[in-house]
Amino acid sequence: MATPVMMPNVGITVESCILTTWHKKKGDAVKKGDVLFTYETDKSTLDEESPVDGIMLEQFFNEDDDVKVMTNVCVIGAEGESTAEFAPAKEGDEAPAPAAEEAPAAAPAAAPAAAAEVAAAPAAGAGEFVKASPRAKALAAKAGVDPRYAGATGPDGRVIERDVRTLIENGPSATPAAAGAFAGQAGTGMGGKFAVGDIGAAAPAAEAAAAPAAEYVDEKMPTIRKTIAKQMVSSLSTAAQLTHTLSFDATEIMAFRKKVKNAGEAMGLNNITLNDILLYAVSRVLSGEAHRALNAHLLNGDTMRYFTNVHLGIAVDTPKGLLVPTLHNANLKSLNDISAEAKKLAKTCQEGAATPDLLQGASFTITNLGSFGIESFTPVINTPQVAILGVGTITTRVREVNGEIKTYPAMSLSLTYDHRAVDGAPASRFMVDLKNALENFSILLSK
Amino acid sequence: MPKSMYVKPEEKFAKRTITFQDIPVCEYDKTVKDEKANFTKEEFLGMYADMVAIREFETMLQSIKLQGEYNGKKFTYPGPSHLAIGEEATAVGQAFTLGVDDFIFGTHRSHHEVIAKGLSAIAKLSDEELVKIMEGFNGGKNYEIIKKHTTGKTTKEVARDFFMYGITCELFAKDNGFSRGLGGSMHAFFLPFGIFPNNAIVGGSAPIATGVALYKKCNKKPGIVVANAGDGAAARGPVYESMNFAAMDQYNELWEDGYKGGLPIIFNFNNNHYGMGGQTKGETMAYGDLARLGCIAQNQMNAERINGWNPLAVIDAYKRKRKLLEEGKGPVLLDVVTYRLSGHSTSDAMSYRTKEEVDDWASHDPLTVFPQQIIDAKVATKKEVEAVRDAVIDRNHRMFELASDLEISPYTDYNEHPDHIESLMFSNGDVPKMDDRECEVRQPKEENERVKKIARSQRYAFDENGKPYSKAKVYNIRDGLFEAIMDKYYEDPTLVAYGEDVRDWNGAFAVYRGLTEALPYHRLFNAPIAESAIVGSAVGYAMAGGRVIAELMYADFIVCSGDEVFNQMAKWQAMSAGGLKMPLVLRVPVGFKYGAQHSQDWTGLCAHVPGLKVVYPVTPYDAKGLMNTALKGTDPVCFFESQQLYDKGEEFVKEGVPEGYYEVPFGEPAVRTEGKDVTILTIGATLYTALEAEKMLREQYGITAEVIDARSVVPFNYEKVIESVKKTGRIVLASDAVTRGNILNDMAQNITNLAFDYLDAPPVVVGSQNWITPAAEYKEQFYPQASWILDAIHERILPIPGYVAKHSFTNEEMLRKAKKGV
Repeated sequence: MATPVMMPNVGITVESCILTTWHKKKGDAVKKGDVLFTYETDKSTLDEESPVDGIMLEQFFNEDDDVKVMTNVCVIGAEGESTAEFAPAKEGDEAPAPAAEEAPAAAPAAAPAAAAEVAAAPAAGAGEFVKASPRAKALAAKAGVDPRYAGATGPDGRVIERDVRTLIENGPSATPAAAGAFAGQAGTGMGGKFAVGDIGAAAPAAEAAAAPAAEYVDEKMPTIRKTIAKQMVSSLSTAAQLTHTLSFDATEIMAFRKKVKNAGEAMGLNNITLNDILLYAVSRVLSGEAHRALNAHLLNGDTMRYFTNVHLGIAVDTPKGLLVPTLHNANLKSLNDISAEAKKLAKTCQEGAATPDLLQGASFTITNLGSFGIESFTPVINTPQVAILGVGTITTRVREVNGEIKTYPAMSLSLTYDHRAVDGAPASRFMVDLKNALENFSILLSK
Repeated sequence: MPKSMYVKPEEKFAKRTITFQDIPVCEYDKTVKDEKANFTKEEFLGMYADMVAIREFETMLQSIKLQGEYNGKKFTYPGPSHLAIGEEATAVGQAFTLGVDDFIFGTHRSHHEVIAKGLSAIAKLSDEELVKIMEGFNGGKNYEIIKKHTTGKTTKEVARDFFMYGITCELFAKDNGFSRGLGGSMHAFFLPFGIFPNNAIVGGSAPIATGVALYKKCNKKPGIVVANAGDGAAARGPVYESMNFAAMDQYNELWEDGYKGGLPIIFNFNNNHYGMGGQTKGETMAYGDLARLGCIAQNQMNAERINGWNPLAVIDAYKRKRKLLEEGKGPVLLDVVTYRLSGHSTSDAMSYRTKEEVDDWASHDPLTVFPQQIIDAKVATKKEVEAVRDAVIDRNHRMFELASDLEISPYTDYNEHPDHIESLMFSNGDVPKMDDRECEVRQPKEENERVKKIARSQRYAFDENGKPYSKAKVYNIRDGLFEAIMDKYYEDPTLVAYGEDVRDWNGAFAVYRGLTEALPYHRLFNAPIAESAIVGSAVGYAMAGGRVIAELMYADFIVCSGDEVFNQMAKWQAMSAGGLKMPLVLRVPVGFKYGAQHSQDWTGLCAHVPGLKVVYPVTPYDAKGLMNTALKGTDPVCFFESQQLYDKGEEFVKEGVPEGYYEVPFGEPAVRTEGKDVTILTIGATLYTALEAEKMLREQYGITAEVIDARSVVPFNYEKVIESVKKTGRIVLASDAVTRGNILNDMAQNITNLAFDYLDAPPVVVGSQNWITPAAEYKEQFYPQASWILDAIHERILPIPGYVAKHSFTNEEMLRKAKKGV
């Protein structure tokens, strides 16, 4: 009996992979362990090896096909064996992508089939399907509000434009269920405020005008780019983000780093970088009970998930785009271990070998643009996390010490946080605590 | 009915008998020998040659259909093949005397008539004229092909090749066909040879041919018209309507000198004794002899039954009948005895007649009898006759080779010309007048009483204080229509208008008041109550090169002329590949208080059929402007008017309706009020209902509505509506047409597609109930009311605080009604 080879299920959020390269042709002899094909998820490129010896009997897909996971891609077997029984069922134009878009960003994506069902037949009270007019949805997306929190006053419990306007002005005012109770045919009893001036004022979005073809090139974005794009827009349109910036005196950490650089190797230490030091400091400050609201996820806009340990997402610039591998349980690891693991994660990502699971589970993210000389920026939260710390470059600043103007190296930190989850004061207190920890790094190390 | 004719009771009560003249049957029975002195040898052999050409052409089709090949070459032709094997002499006899100014119309079975007429035209035209026609057709492409492949030595021989090639290509749906293959077997024709369209609707040619005869009469054009039909068509209403229309008393009693006399048309019934398989005489008809039908006219239509299997008998009849027509004694009815030896079509199993019967007729086959007569009369030797036959068959073979060749005669390349048919649906002409001669009128325009009265009227509905002028003073929609039509009457000499009671009565709604005094009968006359003849003849009048306004008293009567509006008026421009134009404006007033059969808005029916332009003005400014546009165009227009609005003044154009000429372009809706909360798009009189709703929304609920008047239905430019919907996010579409099948549903669907992301709710169509129209007393239960528009907004789009709906637009109600079919 021939052996089918499936597109592996490489991560819980991966629905399909692009088959990028065939390494064997139909009819080729294949040894167990030979690479059959290379495929690409939204975040990584991986090889699939043959599980058995045999002949490549059939290939069901071409290069560049988008193949759903757990679908047979090819069949290995002995000459003449039947392959038809392994042919993937034609499912027509199933469109899991739009269905997935219906689901709020915070919710873990369900299996594709289930997601499609949700889109096709919205179950009342499922809490994920929002019955809103296209116009209301468009306005909500533009204003960055979640139409599910608009009290529906349209016919049949539909969220209409005016409801989103009310939401924008007054914040969430009605549960979807309560709003849904309104039925137009009753003809009376519509609650809420109705201001005529609120209606119909939205300026239509400017339509994209087609430019002369010769002046540009249109290219489809690679999967990873599309994923980033989707994540960014989702983040900005669903979370209430704002950024606090401060700088700290980097004299001590620079001195420490110098010390490690000069003598660390001899003591069996890694080449600990300033970034490693920041990771360490953040993991320690964040693990304190006082800042648990920043080491958290905000789910469905109404549930906080506080993490016991600190799982740091580390933004890594790779040739393919931004990847954020996770350094788990950072608060339990030594500086040296953190340093080693961070380097390993970065390397894996840069080689394009990160598995999707490597890229999940962070409770807080750090992104460092200091090496580019960026002084300060506004990072975008990797939702459902509630905060992200941006690290800027070190600049020389002056200050008065005992009547004298003295210079010192100042490093900037920018914290973007979700105001839905955290208020300004606790966010600021976290920044101050972090500043103190870094300015007194040796004391922190001694804790 | 004019006052000049007194209907005297004593006369009507007087005892008397109606008598008929005897109808001759097959009186002519001469042979070639008897007529030897009256025809040349060339003419006799020519008749035979043309009969052979037809027989061979039909044999070719039969062979292709049944055996998939002809003359040893495989070929497929999936189209219809109503063959005329056996009827060759009938057609050749008819065509023999006809010139290119004499126009023939045909039926689904007309290959023989077309070929006979084409070959006869070639015999009559000079070489120069033939070359000009060949060079002029299809950019000279066909002529080039023929010049390359012909074996002909004379221009006439080349022209015969050219003609047989064009007609074969047309049947084979090739791009080099006479109508680029868009006509096909049942609609093959070639205007330069006086061959007008055949018609696949039984009897369909009769009203159209009548209209062409009317055109010839009203515009003093030479030639006669032949409306070919089968005996089966003698049962069709439009055929009777046409014969009556062609024979109306008024031509002799009322029309001015120079225009007197019946129409110059021969209703030529090729009586092959079967309507498909039904025997006419003895089974489906009551006439005994078809020629008896001529008795519908006082002159009995000069009816006569002749032997169509003797071409000389047909020639004799045509010579005599033409003389009558030229003397103004038309129309003529000919009952021409013939027989088809082949089946109705190639799928005919001949279940309705015996082999003996067919064999009996075959023993009289003109293709055998006539050449034998030529030989017996010593006009030509057997060898000469056979040489003629062989040469003709060779020509058919050669033209089949050319026409079936994919390289020489390709099919139309729709990949390269995806808009091929699209570009032919409308001619979109801008032709202020169809001819240059002087316009015949009875008085200078300025002296017309109506013109003088209009000069004193208020061209804007309100005075400087916003107070409406009285109805008697205000310039209204009726005036707008009149002004446009009156102006055109003094500009385009070909313009005629007719319909029921348009003269004297001035049309049931007095739009034409003043025209009776201004115009001679032949430009404005009362038509019989015969909608098929009214619209069908207008189609013919326009097709022949004239401009015509036909009026149906109520839109409901559209279906009385259903074939003429939907199959004829709409289709001939494209079916002729642009060869024919259709400057025909069909005025269709929509009633509103006359019950179920006099109150229907059928814009949707007209819009459904491709090829018709449909407009519906509801203001004086638009009535005049759209009528001006319709009357300078070359396309068929269904011009809807609302009977409840004829005395409506101009409420939108503050400067008033211009006295001079202006146009309102087709397809452009007009924004009547600006608003930001909801758009209301209307067709027809419902505009004023929507304006009432707009006022209620604004004054009582602080909601501003943008009311848009569609003005046109086909074509329609959605841009303004979409722009509005992008702003308001909401739209109600309303018209007085019943809701189901209302063209607004189409528009709503398009708007949903075009503005989906801007919509706050699905568009809602508010039409009349899916009922019969009740009496005027119950109009509020039936027609859309302003409150319904509010109800629809409240229940389906934007619930209005404090509003209580009266009329249910809920999902449940929609489902219930659909389930019940109401």
